[in-house]
Amino acid sequence: MVSIYTVQKYSYQSKTMAAVLSARDLPGVWPAHALATPSVAAYATGFAALDAELPGGGWPEAGLVELLLPAQAQHRWLVLLPALAARLRQHSGPLVLIGAPSLLGPQAPALEPFSPALAAQGMPAHRLLCINATSAAQRLWACEQALRCADTVAVVAWLPAREGTVQPAALRRLHVGAVDYGKPLFVLRSVQAQQASTPAPLRLEVAVESDHAPGLQVRILKRRGPPLHSTLALRSPLPRLDALLQARPSTAVSGEVSHALVGAVPA
Amino acid sequence: MHWLALYLPDTIAAADRETWRLRALHLTPRVAQVDEALVLEVSASLRLWGGADRLLQQLLGSNWHLAGVLYAQAATYLIAIALLRLQRLGQPPPQSCPQQLPLSVLGAAQPHLSVLARVGCTTWGDLRALPRAGVARRFGLPLLEALDAAHGERVETCTWLTLPEDFDLRLELPALATSAPELMWTAQRLLSALQAWLRARQRGVLAIELEWALDLKRLDGVLLPPTQRLTLRTAEPTQSTDHLRRLVGEHLARAALAAPANALRLRTLETAPWAGASTSLLPQDLRKGEKLHELVERLSVRLGAEQVRWPQTLADHRPEHRQRWVNARDAQGQSVASPVGNQDALLPTWLLREPLPLRVVQGQPYFQGPLHTLTSPQRIEGGWWDTATAEGTVLRDYFVARSAQSGLLWIYRERARVGATHAASDTTERWFLHGAYA
Repeated sequence: MVSIYTVQKYSYQSKTMAAVLSARDLPGVWPAHALATPSVAAYATGFAALDAELPGGGWPEAGLVELLLPAQAQHRWLVLLPALAARLRQHSGPLVLIGAPSLLGPQAPALEPFSPALAAQGMPAHRLLCINATSAAQRLWACEQALRCADTVAVVAWLPAREGTVQPAALRRLHVGAVDYGKPLFVLRSVQAQQASTPAPLRLEVAVESDHAPGLQVRILKRRGPPLHSTLALRSPLPRLDALLQARPSTAVSGEVSHALVGAVPA
Repeated sequence: MHWLALYLPDTIAAADRETWRLRALHLTPRVAQVDEALVLEVSASLRLWGGADRLLQQLLGSNWHLAGVLYAQAATYLIAIALLRLQRLGQPPPQSCPQQLPLSVLGAAQPHLSVLARVGCTTWGDLRALPRAGVARRFGLPLLEALDAAHGERVETCTWLTLPEDFDLRLELPALATSAPELMWTAQRLLSALQAWLRARQRGVLAIELEWALDLKRLDGVLLPPTQRLTLRTAEPTQSTDHLRRLVGEHLARAALAAPANALRLRTLETAPWAGASTSLLPQDLRKGEKLHELVERLSVRLGAEQVRWPQTLADHRPEHRQRWVNARDAQGQSVASPVGNQDALLPTWLLREPLPLRVVQGQPYFQGPLHTLTSPQRIEGGWWDTATAEGTVLRDYFVARSAQSGLLWIYRERARVGATHAASDTTERWFLHGAYA
């Protein structure tokens, strides 16, 4: 009898708690089965499937977002491109890129942003401020300075592969700064950082596509809402490249020149 | 008329006196040094600064009483100075002013004080009650004129302070500085003086020069120059010392002193008229934060100018010549227009600084594993006109290839040149990695 009574009592209490929660939204509290209502506005990522799974329906307008990439594919920032291009269209000011990914390791020739391709994605060259900094401390410092600038549209930073130098406290500081100055900050790290805790309210992992899993493979590791176990397969935002890859089977005979193009075709 | 008189004690250093003067000139153009006092005529500026109290607050700052600064205000500058002198003597101001002011605090009456006392004249009112003709004959015209000026019956004539065209101030260091960051404390004092000068002259600074004098003539047998210099530039005229202080700090953290320094000098190299900061009425336009040029300059100082840069697209077909990098600090303000049509959605978003030669195994290029080409070749030929370097001419077939670890890559196969076919006897193809898709 007693146990039944307690169960009834608890269920009664949880009902009242639900009523309290639905009656007035407490800041920072959300029901476990639904996405949180974020305190800052959000903007669309450009991928409808991803928008549906993010609190507020997109990237947060202010604050830190962590993107984990495979160690050999730190350059795979396709998931950011549509949103960054849209932001550049809406706001004036530069997009700040801090550091750059490298394909092989520290001594390999570094990658540089290629502006004709980025211009075709809606990111004109004269609005990309690229900052080369080798050490993690310098990159974090540059991030903080870039967030302080009133004109900056967004900051994208690559942290070097050796993760031991990046303390969560440093990232928390950046997150607080980003919220304070109302700027989106994207930090791209290696998947090895998955074990470390993060102050970012949003953490995603991007996997390299393969033949049996084409398109962008994105997993949401941390969000304000219920955990998402499935991997999101997003459509690539590069229709022309996709069409080119579709046009020829992967068994292309590399020796034969069937299609010669000199120069650029306007996108 | 509303006059302020300011007494600066001798303990205040010469540079700080200069700062006080500059600060006074920021508030009103009518500032003069009369005897020991700095006098300001502020009646025309009262409304601008929100009243006499606000103006005094602006002038004095927060710690004025600790420095021993005294001030007095009155309708004429002679009364203000008289009140100031009474304060210094520790006497309370009289009930009715200026009639009961003692003659001992009037500058023009100083030579005649003993005679006047014997006549029975001790206050300004007593002297004014005497017949004018007799006073003029007995004590001379200047005393009478001063008395008239004190009562506002005569136009006061002062030699107003003016500012030099260029700011140039030299300060002795409190102690010998052995490293550049030790100069920072004195540099800050110089910068606050500079700010006062800029405000008074309504100008913004574009370039300054810091110069420190070295204490040694030679060190280890090497003859040293008498001074070392540091030039700082900013893209937009500024009056804020925050940005200048950070720039100076960054520069000094990198500078090296050839020998201990004993003095620091700051002068302006270039200034521009100050237009004032424009703000918007719309709340969404008021974004908090600093300006872009401040960010670029700070980053350029710490990381190096060539590390902070913009890409600039060029009209060329060869991938490595389709863009070049310009230092952001040099290219500020000029928006670089991209050539029309130099954009291509089929290009990768990342380019290797130099093409990376790939291993070829059984005719297939290798990069962390075999690479499978996914597309037909895109042939790029060009640069035959570029004879300056051997690398200028490009004969390449580009492919998109998939790597298991790194995703889509942009690779090319170099084609043999027409003139060099006989030389390239070996038939192995040369493959390079040149870019990576996002």
